[in-house]
Amino acid sequence: MAKNSSSAILIGVLKLQVGQISETIEREGRNLLGGGNLLSPEEITDFCLEFLQLLIELLDSKDPHDDASPQFHALEMFFNNLSRQILVRGGRVEDLVRYIQFMQRTLIEALGAAKNIKPEDMRDILLYLSGVFNELILAVFHAYLDEKERTIYAQEAELRETATPITEIWDGVLTLPIIGTLDSSRTMIIMEALLNRIATERAAAVVMDLTGVKSIDSQVSHHLIQMVRAIQLMGSDAIVTGIRPEIARALTSLNIDLGSVTTRATLSDGLKEAFRRMNLQVLPKA
Amino acid sequence: MSPAGLHLTPLGQGRCLLEPGRGLDISQRPLLIEDILERLQRSGAAVLYYDLGELPLIDEAYYAWLDTLARACAALNVRMICMRMQPTAAFGLSHYLKEGPAFETTLGLCV
Repeated sequence: MAKNSSSAILIGVLKLQVGQISETIEREGRNLLGGGNLLSPEEITDFCLEFLQLLIELLDSKDPHDDASPQFHALEMFFNNLSRQILVRGGRVEDLVRYIQFMQRTLIEALGAAKNIKPEDMRDILLYLSGVFNELILAVFHAYLDEKERTIYAQEAELRETATPITEIWDGVLTLPIIGTLDSSRTMIIMEALLNRIATERAAAVVMDLTGVKSIDSQVSHHLIQMVRAIQLMGSDAIVTGIRPEIARALTSLNIDLGSVTTRATLSDGLKEAFRRMNLQVLPKA
Repeated sequence: MSPAGLHLTPLGQGRCLLEPGRGLDISQRPLLIEDILERLQRSGAAVLYYDLGELPLIDEAYYAWLDTLARACAALNVRMICMRMQPTAAFGLSHYLKEGPAFETTLGLCV
């Protein structure tokens, strides 16, 4: 679109019908985004005015086609931020995309009311509007994906935290209850967290409680032994507790040798063993 | 004169501390072991603490060096205790060790 012809026509149309255009997109904004209290009426009004202002600034720029221009970037960022705001408040990306399409339609309808626009100018304007709005929809999707990724990352971090509840139950004694299945990636996460805790707390003993482990296979038992070995290499004592009879049976049928691993029946027995190794004795109050 | 990167300090009570420096060339294994054992014997050491605090990773070659040194120490009735192994090193080593090491481990030096 040549700046001097088509953009000037579009600016003219916008300026002439700004009140009507603003009112139409505001009304639709209230329908689509105001219903679930995603945006207040004042926010929608501000949003519409800012959008029209940014669009006019883009059309008035040196090259309205330049998608690297500050004006284009400002418009993209405006929709990017709006998208985040709506998603954070529990809105749907589809509604925002529909709203952007509605804005495009409103502008095209406003062009229909304008007189004396040559067909070739009209074609240029339509192509231009289609290009700009497609970019804006893409900006909205980018924001949506970024937000989703952030949510997934936060959930993963939370899961990692809850999957490795390492507690210093006594000075220099760590406990790690393992619940569920130990796969390779979980073992790595647990090991990394556990070994770092041993180093920072200078833990002399680690009691790993397997009461919550329902089943075991050769891979899981391999991971378990690897974990015990890493703890021992750090210079700590590893004590495994809560091995269920079915797990013990599975271990023997898998030919897993737990000879180098200190085992105790319950977590409390494991704790007593840790105390014994640390020359500690817990006595009832006299 | 001791080989480069080999810092062996008697701690008293039959204990010695070996702090490997960056210049320690473990490819010279026989010479290093002879030198260490001679000095251990001279100081009447019963325990050798090997400080691994500055090693973020222990590869197979380095592990082989530690293993050989520990076995050689055992021949002189000297216990070799590796201390301050870093989490990253323990993590990596636990992946390829098939059996327990020839040396003992501890978190740090007990004074």
